[in-house]
Amino acid sequence: MSFHYGQGYPGGGNPPPGGPYGGGHGAYRPAPSAPYGGAAGPPRGPYGGYGAPGHGGQYGHGPGAAPSGPYGGYGGQPHGGPYGHHAPAGNIPPGVNPEAYQWFHTVDTDHSGFINLKELKQALVNSNWSAFNDETCLMMINMFDKTRSGRMDVFSFSALWDFMQRWRALFQQYDRDRSGSISGTELHQALAQMGYNLSPQFSETLVQRFSFRGGRPGIQLDRFIHVCTQLQSMTQVFRERDTSMTGNVRLNYEDFLSGAITRLM
Amino acid sequence: MAYHSPYRAPPQISAPPDQGFLWNIFQRVDKDRSGVISDSELQQALSNGTWTPFNPVTVRSIISMFDRENKGGVNFNEFAGVWKYITDWQNIFRTYDRDNSGFIDKNELKQALTGFGYRLSDQFYSTLIEKFDRQRKGQVAFDDFIQCCIVLQRLTDVFRRYDTDQDGWIQVSYEQYLSMVFNIV
Repeated sequence: MSFHYGQGYPGGGNPPPGGPYGGGHGAYRPAPSAPYGGAAGPPRGPYGGYGAPGHGGQYGHGPGAAPSGPYGGYGGQPHGGPYGHHAPAGNIPPGVNPEAYQWFHTVDTDHSGFINLKELKQALVNSNWSAFNDETCLMMINMFDKTRSGRMDVFSFSALWDFMQRWRALFQQYDRDRSGSISGTELHQALAQMGYNLSPQFSETLVQRFSFRGGRPGIQLDRFIHVCTQLQSMTQVFRERDTSMTGNVRLNYEDFLSGAITRLM
Repeated sequence: MAYHSPYRAPPQISAPPDQGFLWNIFQRVDKDRSGVISDSELQQALSNGTWTPFNPVTVRSIISMFDRENKGGVNFNEFAGVWKYITDWQNIFRTYDRDNSGFIDKNELKQALTGFGYRLSDQFYSTLIEKFDRQRKGQVAFDDFIQCCIVLQRLTDVFRRYDTDQDGWIQVSYEQYLSMVFNIV
């Protein structure tokens, strides 16, 4: 029997979004991100009281959010708009995407030469105009911030820009009904095309967990990026332990903890 | 046996504060007067003792524990739980941060977690410091310490659910493994 789990991104039109950055699978070192999903209990009680399960959808729709066009752009500020601090094109450092360069200077609101979490969050929006969630922003900063300073220079930002553009294209491609979000069925199809052999129930559960409150079930771009990137890393962890490729592994407690903590966060 | 009932309760140090006291705090933290304290309001109100912003992921973890209706924040009643939770962690942290530096090092982290019932290798404590030390000091600050404990607790809990014979080993399929970790990270 051949057991397929994520083969990454098999050839074809889709560039591997994780590919060029530090070897793809699980190469990033995100910060301690763990907060969604079933809540852990407070430190007292022996098994911790379980609070209400916290879903990701903490960021309500902004007031007067105009759902114009299914795919939001970057931030509210139009290119070339009155707020753009567009530097002359001649100054673009080598290897930096010119569009990313312009955006960097728009997003770097304090002109520090670096983009921090807050600035990145303000710059990225989903198709329903919600801000990108903290977990995804932190994950991306940690993927591209080579200095581990928690902020990005223009080179890191340019790499992140390319990464985002690829994921955005995939998101649009897999959002088959053009609803602006990825449903359980659409996620299942997306993961299958990426080479993951997972049940429809698995995708359905993920979508339910990460859907916006009050809206119809579906995940936004930020969650899509987060889920797919984490899936790559976790698959890598599993694969390293599944040496005989049976699709089953035996793990001891500490190995389980280390796998999750070193590769996923 | 690989682990011994890891969630030993921390000592119940803080007496329940009176409602008037909490209400005053709640009103100061709830800057937009919405009646609900959001992630960013709580983050601004919290200090990790080192002049750097409180870990936003820790804030999200804490709020999601007490936010019963999934409204993205905590109301006054829920805030009482948040307050006690943070105060309890603060007291624990102070116990181990003997020199009051605002950070605990690997040895202190080991003492703390051993006190909670975890039995983990030295190598693993190095991993924890490496992963949770956001400030790159080789030690963990208060907010990162909480996050470290929350993650360990969640991972241990999910492991335990699969380790039905309690021998410290589990056998899981690919999809089971993904479901286990996706719940936590």
